[in-house]
Amino acid sequence: MKILLVEDEPALREIIRKFLEKEHYIVESAATFNDALIKVEDYDYDCILLDIMLPDGNGLAVLKHLKTLHKHENVIIISAKDSLDDRVAGLELGADDYLPKPFHLAELNARIKSVFRRSRMNGELFIEAGNIRINPDSHEVLVNGKSIELNRKEYDILHYFVTRRGDLVDKNTLAEAVWGDYIDQVDSFDFIYAQVKNLRKKLTEAAASVEIKAVYGFGYKFIINEL
Amino acid sequence: MKLVYRITIRLSIALLMLMAAWGAIFYFVIIEEINDETDDSLEDYSEAIIMRALAGESLPSNGNGSNNSYYIKSISAEYAAQNSHIRYSDETVYIEVKRETEPARVLNTIFRDGDSNLFELTVMTPTIEKQDLKETVLYWIVALYILLLLVIIVINVWIFHRSFRPLYRLLQWLDGFSVNREPAPLNNETKVSEFRQLNDTVLKNAKRNIEMYEQQKDFIGNASHELQTPLAICQNKLEMLLYDDSLTETQLNEISEIRQTLNRIVKLNKTLLLLSKIENEQFPDKERVSINQLLKSIVDDYAEIYASRSISVSVEEAGEMIVLLNKTLVSVLIGNLLKNAYVHNFDDGTIEISINSTTIVIANTGQEQPLDEDKIFKRFYRNSQRESSSGLGLAMVASICKNSGIAIRYFFRNDKHCFEVRGSDFVV
Repeated sequence: MKILLVEDEPALREIIRKFLEKEHYIVESAATFNDALIKVEDYDYDCILLDIMLPDGNGLAVLKHLKTLHKHENVIIISAKDSLDDRVAGLELGADDYLPKPFHLAELNARIKSVFRRSRMNGELFIEAGNIRINPDSHEVLVNGKSIELNRKEYDILHYFVTRRGDLVDKNTLAEAVWGDYIDQVDSFDFIYAQVKNLRKKLTEAAASVEIKAVYGFGYKFIINEL
Repeated sequence: MKLVYRITIRLSIALLMLMAAWGAIFYFVIIEEINDETDDSLEDYSEAIIMRALAGESLPSNGNGSNNSYYIKSISAEYAAQNSHIRYSDETVYIEVKRETEPARVLNTIFRDGDSNLFELTVMTPTIEKQDLKETVLYWIVALYILLLLVIIVINVWIFHRSFRPLYRLLQWLDGFSVNREPAPLNNETKVSEFRQLNDTVLKNAKRNIEMYEQQKDFIGNASHELQTPLAICQNKLEMLLYDDSLTETQLNEISEIRQTLNRIVKLNKTLLLLSKIENEQFPDKERVSINQLLKSIVDDYAEIYASRSISVSVEEAGEMIVLLNKTLVSVLIGNLLKNAYVHNFDDGTIEISINSTTIVIANTGQEQPLDEDKIFKRFYRNSQRESSSGLGLAMVASICKNSGIAIRYFFRNDKHCFEVRGSDFVV
């Protein structure tokens, strides 16, 4: 998997590159608009991470250029400018996702995977983990081909874990992803434990081959057990 | 009070005092002059009589049609020694011819004839009635005063309005001035240098205010924007650190805590960015939003969180409130109010939401004292020492309300903290 990282901030570029390489991607990076243009013209990538605020041009122009070249690379916009206009403009120009800075690297990884999955499966959006199969459109969860009943929060938690398998999941980040931005002012996370406990129980009852492991003081880790 | 009224009243009072003083002085001067003239003629008269008396000529008859009268009486030496030889006085005397008493000027002269006999001559002449004079003077002063006043008021108002027109135009312009809007051009040509100076100064200050407001806004916006990248680097470096398998559990926990603190900075920064976006009116798209549905969906999202602290939530719907506003902003507004009601609540507390077609009231239990309404909507005002409170939630609410023309108000009723959001023209 080859990824082009267009980011002008050296420290950020370096850390994202290091992280992606750890995740076994091949990473090329470009620091300027012109650099990025030359790279997309000369090479093919599986995914482009595009910062739209570049010193010598707007990243959105790279998107336009890709279109004129008739290339269909997956593009995820990473931007410090979390404005609705840019988001809409980016997605209209053919970007696949929009990730406002600052973001968690695990989140970036999940988005990259999701983009790949979508392009690979030609719109078929089943996510599989062990013997679990999730349909994100209908919110249906099948274990061994048998449907299990989850409430909305349980489904959201499972979906979050499945798209971040193997990663350490911080309980704050999980709470924010499932309950929204306002969760930061909540002092106790007891309600997460309760929801995760219920989810675990349902998964165990259905004999799912996955495990939500608690990491003391930090959060969780989603592990797929070999059958 | 309008300036023109104040000037008129002050002018009237000054005029009243001036006219009163003028009347009094006028009266005394006239009386003095009349007395002086009368005394002169009495003196001549008395001299003539004394001359005749001493010469032994016949004295003029009393009542010769001149209203003047005289007496001569002989007096003792003691009397002469006791009284001054020439005395003027004002008296009322009975005039036989007219058969009435009248005020008169009287002159007493003591003289001695060739045989050293002492006599006192009293001559008198009726004078004007001073009471009449006083009344007349007063009457005319009052009449003149009123007339003068009317004339002055009319002239004053006319001159005032003509000369102060630039001031009123300036005031009107200032009325419509706001630091967050491009001001309308100030068309206020005038030849008066003071007004020209005032115009220039006001314009200069208005421009400076706008600039300062812009700078402040830009600063907050830029600062929080510039913070994004370094924050992202910190966050991501810490995240990378987590993947290091050689870390002990204690170290992992430490990192987790640092990440949480960092998350709070990121949140704070995002909130400041959002605030500056609201103030820059970067949420122009409006759509129909049902507040009822929005409220219920947020309450639903929060269900587990409320349950974890045994806080009961009730929603009472007396009507549906549909607004034409930016959906993101309305969500932030309602979300922040609900979060506020939750965060500052106690365990086993209640949140009561009542909604009708124009008003939402969110009432929650909490601390027993009412909050200071003037302060709670200010940025970074914190009533409690809660670590997790950013002090920006209600500031954001206030900012959204201000920019969308929504009225928000806080009150304390039945031991509950109530926030009332009242819609007006944006309610569909």
